[in-house]
Amino acid sequence: MRAVDIFIQQILNGLSIASVITLIAVGVTLIFGLTGIINFAHGEFLMIGGIVTWLAVSAGLGFPLAAVLAILAVGLMGYILERGIFRFTLERPTNGFIVSLGLIVVLQHVVVLFWNPNQKSIPRPLTTVWEVGGVRIASVRVMVILITVAVVALSFRMITASRYGRALRASVEDRDTAALMGIPVRRYITGVFVLGSALAGLGGALLIALFPITPFTGGTMVMKGFAVALIGGLGNIYGAVAAGLILGIVEGFSAGYGFSQWTDAYSFVLMILVLLFRPHGLFGGTSGPRMAS
Amino acid sequence: MSLLAISEIVTGYGPTIVNRNVSLTLAQGEIVTILGPNGAGKSTLLKAIAGLVRPRAGSISFDGADVTGLPADIMARRGVVLVPEGRKIFVDMTVEENLRLGAYSRKDPDAVEADFATMLAFFPILATKRRDKGGSLSGGQQQLLAIARGLMTRPRVLLLDEPSLGLSPLLVKEIKAIILDIGERFGASVLLVEQNAGLALAVAARGYLMQNGRIVVSGPIAELRDMSLMRDLYLGGVAQAAS
Repeated sequence: MRAVDIFIQQILNGLSIASVITLIAVGVTLIFGLTGIINFAHGEFLMIGGIVTWLAVSAGLGFPLAAVLAILAVGLMGYILERGIFRFTLERPTNGFIVSLGLIVVLQHVVVLFWNPNQKSIPRPLTTVWEVGGVRIASVRVMVILITVAVVALSFRMITASRYGRALRASVEDRDTAALMGIPVRRYITGVFVLGSALAGLGGALLIALFPITPFTGGTMVMKGFAVALIGGLGNIYGAVAAGLILGIVEGFSAGYGFSQWTDAYSFVLMILVLLFRPHGLFGGTSGPRMAS
Repeated sequence: MSLLAISEIVTGYGPTIVNRNVSLTLAQGEIVTILGPNGAGKSTLLKAIAGLVRPRAGSISFDGADVTGLPADIMARRGVVLVPEGRKIFVDMTVEENLRLGAYSRKDPDAVEADFATMLAFFPILATKRRDKGGSLSGGQQQLLAIARGLMTRPRVLLLDEPSLGLSPLLVKEIKAIILDIGERFGASVLLVEQNAGLALAVAARGYLMQNGRIVVSGPIAELRDMSLMRDLYLGGVAQAAS
C-alpha cells in the first residue's frame, strides 16, 4: 500500500471521530455562549445517546430509527435537566458547572445500575468497504462524516438566516438587551439545551456505529469536545466546527505516520498551544453572557 | 388618565436600596423627563419600568393594567420599550439585523417592512451603513441606531436613558429634533432620563428631579427651569464641575 493511500484512509478515520467530537463541541459552546455554563456532563449525554441506540438496535430496530430515538431521548433529557436543574444556576454559571460535574457521576452510575458497566456494541450499520485505487474506504465512516456535515450545515443555516437564529445570536451577545427587544431569552436558553443535547444524542449514535462504548466513554469525549470548543473560541460555533476539522486532520495525519499512540494527546497539545498564543481561541470566543448590572 | 403610572416604587440591588417610594405619571403623547445627578437612581428606575429590575414594592400600571414585575420581553411586547444607557447595540450584528431585532415580537410583517423603510429614510446614515456591523458605527450613529431599533418595536412608551451621553453638541441637537418628532411620527410617549439638562429642558413638557433615589421636585418644565433649588442641586453642580 502506498503512503498516500494510508494517508487518505487515516484522514478519513480522523475526520469521522472528529465529527463526533465536533457534535459535542458545538453543544458545549452553544450552551456556554448563552448561559456561561460549562456543561461537563455533555459527554454523558453523548454516552446515553449511544446506550439508547444500543438498546433500540438490540430490540430489533434499524440503525436510522435507533439514532432518531437517541436524538429524541437525549433532547428530552436536556429539556428536563434545564427545567429541573440548570435554570436555577443561570445567575451563577459556576454553580451550573459544579452541578454538571455531579451529573457526570449520577448519569454514569444510573447506566451502570441498569445496564452493567461492560462494553456495548451494535453491528455496523453499513458494512461496505469501497476500494478506490488501493484506498480502502469504510462506508460507515463516510456516513458519520456526511451526517455531521449535514447537521452542522443545517444548524448554521438556522443560526445565520432565520429570525430565531438572529434572536439567538442577540441573546448570546447581550441577554438583557435581547429581552428589551421582546425576545423571550429564557425560552431560548431551554431551546439551546435541547438542541445541544440532541446533537450529543446524535453523536452517541454515530460513535457506537464506529466503536463499542461503555458507560464511561463520555469522559474522554467531553474532554476532547471541550478542548475543541476552546481551540475554536468558547461560545463561537463556527470556531468549534473549524477546530473539529483541524483536530480530525491532525489526528488522522499523525496516525498515518506512525504516531497513533499519541492520538489522544493532540487535542490537548493543540489546546495548550492555542491558549498560550491566542487566549480567546483561534476564531475568538465570547466571554459568556453579560449579566444585569 | 395616564398611560403609564408608577406608584411608590422601591428598587435595589442586594442590600442596597436605590429608589425609595418613587411615583410618576406619563400621559399619552407626552414627553416627560427625569433629571438628576449621576447615581441618583434614574437608570434603575427606567430598568424597573422596562422589566429588567424587579421592583421590591410599589406598582406600575400601563394602559390601565397592572404590569408590576413583568419581565422585560413581555413589557416590550406590550409596548414599553427601553433604549438603554450606553446604546447596547449588538456589535457583532449588522445595522439591518439590529433594526429587525427591534421588530422581533411583531406579527405584522408588512407593517414591519414599512417601518424598516421609514427608519432608513428617517435616519439616512443607517441606510448608508445598513450592511455594516453595529460595532463599526460611531457613538452618535450607535445612538441613532438604538433609538431606531427601539422604534421598530412600535412602542407606546419609549424610555430613553441618557441618549446624549458622550455625543458632540451637533449630535445632541439632532437627537433633540428626533425626540421632539417621536410623538408625532411614531405615536409614542417619551420618558427621558438625562444628565444633560439643556436637552431635557428643551424637549420635555414636564419634569421630575431625582436625588438620592427619590423624587424631590416635579412640575412643568418652565417652573423647574426657574427653580433655585434645581440650580443648587443640579445645574449648579454641573456649572461648578465645568468651571
